[in-house]
Amino acid sequence: MPRPRVWRSAEGLLTLPALLFYLGVYLYPLARIVGWSLYDRGPTLKFYRAMASDPSLLHALGNTLSISLLSTALCLLLGYPLAYLIATAAPAAGRVLMLLVLVPFWTSILVRSFAWIVILGNHGLVNRALLAAGLIARPVRLLFNMTGVQTGMVHVLLPFMVLPLVAAMRRIDPNVLRIARSLGAVPRRAFLHVFLPLSLPGIAAGGALVFLLAVGFYVTPALLGGPGQITLATMIDMEITNFLDWGMAAMLGVVLMAVAGVLFAAFGALLGPRLVTGAE
Amino acid sequence: MARAALWLFGGLIALFLVAPILVVMVTSLGSSSFMAFPPRDVSLHWYAHFLGSPQWIGPTLLSLRLAASVAVSATLLGTSAAIGLARGSFRGRAALEMFLISPMVVPVVVLALGLYFLFSGAHLLDHPLALWLGHTLLATPVALVLVRAGLRSTDRSLERAARSLGAGFWRTLRHVTLPAIRESVAAAAVFSFLVSFDEVVVAIFVGGPATTTLPKRMWESVRFETDPTLLAIATLLTLLAVAVLLLGAWLRPGRQT
Repeated sequence: MPRPRVWRSAEGLLTLPALLFYLGVYLYPLARIVGWSLYDRGPTLKFYRAMASDPSLLHALGNTLSISLLSTALCLLLGYPLAYLIATAAPAAGRVLMLLVLVPFWTSILVRSFAWIVILGNHGLVNRALLAAGLIARPVRLLFNMTGVQTGMVHVLLPFMVLPLVAAMRRIDPNVLRIARSLGAVPRRAFLHVFLPLSLPGIAAGGALVFLLAVGFYVTPALLGGPGQITLATMIDMEITNFLDWGMAAMLGVVLMAVAGVLFAAFGALLGPRLVTGAE
Repeated sequence: MARAALWLFGGLIALFLVAPILVVMVTSLGSSSFMAFPPRDVSLHWYAHFLGSPQWIGPTLLSLRLAASVAVSATLLGTSAAIGLARGSFRGRAALEMFLISPMVVPVVVLALGLYFLFSGAHLLDHPLALWLGHTLLATPVALVLVRAGLRSTDRSLERAARSLGAGFWRTLRHVTLPAIRESVAAAAVFSFLVSFDEVVVAIFVGGPATTTLPKRMWESVRFETDPTLLAIATLLTLLAVAVLLLGAWLRPGRQT
């Protein structure tokens, strides 16, 4: 049935309020960041030059990338078996496992970071259990270092890996596996040569999403890391609150935006808008 | 055999995911200020302390009001945009959709920095309006995605029928389109509320002493004192998240828990 031309455009106009809001509260502020990063009593590139030469900034960049890479690897390592279990379990068991993934997913990051402080602290659950078992003589330092940051980050990011993986695995036709088995493939071979390759889109999507999110993480490194775990994101806060250096903070913001933008563009086609929410 | 090993491994990972929250919940029932696990007694001491201290209740009330306002604004913007994207036909629609959900993938700390620049220029730092605008920006993409999913599962021929029977654009919207996506819109409001209520980074950057939200107060407490009242608050926030999740699962059509 042909529809009148006017109706079509009228419905499109419903995107206008959000668009205008975004122009003022999203695009304009991002442009301000770019502006501040290039300005210091006149146009300058000195903040970007600092990024290329200042050891503490390079250290923060290196930290950000290595923490993100390690988080992504750990999430894949832990997430793949869990996703496989969810995707192949009986529906009821799968739903229970899925709930165990989704509850932390929607629980505040602040609450979860605090929970790790309670558990990993010097007087926390882990240290007291190890002391009581006689395995250690003095509390082991598990917080405010790499262990603390990685534990907290993997905990927050794992659901973002599991959800795309489950989605990809559920799309795999079980008959394909049955055929592989009936053609004589032992279970391990059927998994390695049939299931694993078919789940690659999920691995790529989950990995890209986790890495993208990890690069911009602020709360977890700030609360569970120490001076050795300063990242680009925590550096921005320090530039603003401790050094009052807007130009430097803005430059770091641009670098983070650029890294996230490149990753998003590179994986955008792979992720699709729906996977960005992790909820499908 | 392999299956048993898989269940064991998967079970341990699931335990890793939920254990921290469970430990906090159980610990919150003690009364010792050393946050002992397991607690030596069972009491609601820290809950009473939370409800009785103005330094916690003030921020909680602010966060509740803020989250309720954000639920309204983000749902309006997100629903409107979702309908426009799903039913409109114009050039660059796919690009516009990517743009409208893109705040989800920009690091929050970058958004917070931009808002800090914006509001310090407008002399709105430490003003509730700044938090409201900032949180609306974070929640709108979530609302948009949820309503967009709802629209995908509706039957467009009903709208076409209404139009061909002479109903105008607004009338069709009000009597056909919106009733069909009622649940998604409600879910959008609920999740927008949670996004704002849990949000801490924007609150740290643009908030101040006069606009300390509950997460900002918690942030300060975790960093500088670690008040055991946090145990009770963390438990309550987790229960809120579970309630929102259940409500969302019940409201979202064709979705699994």
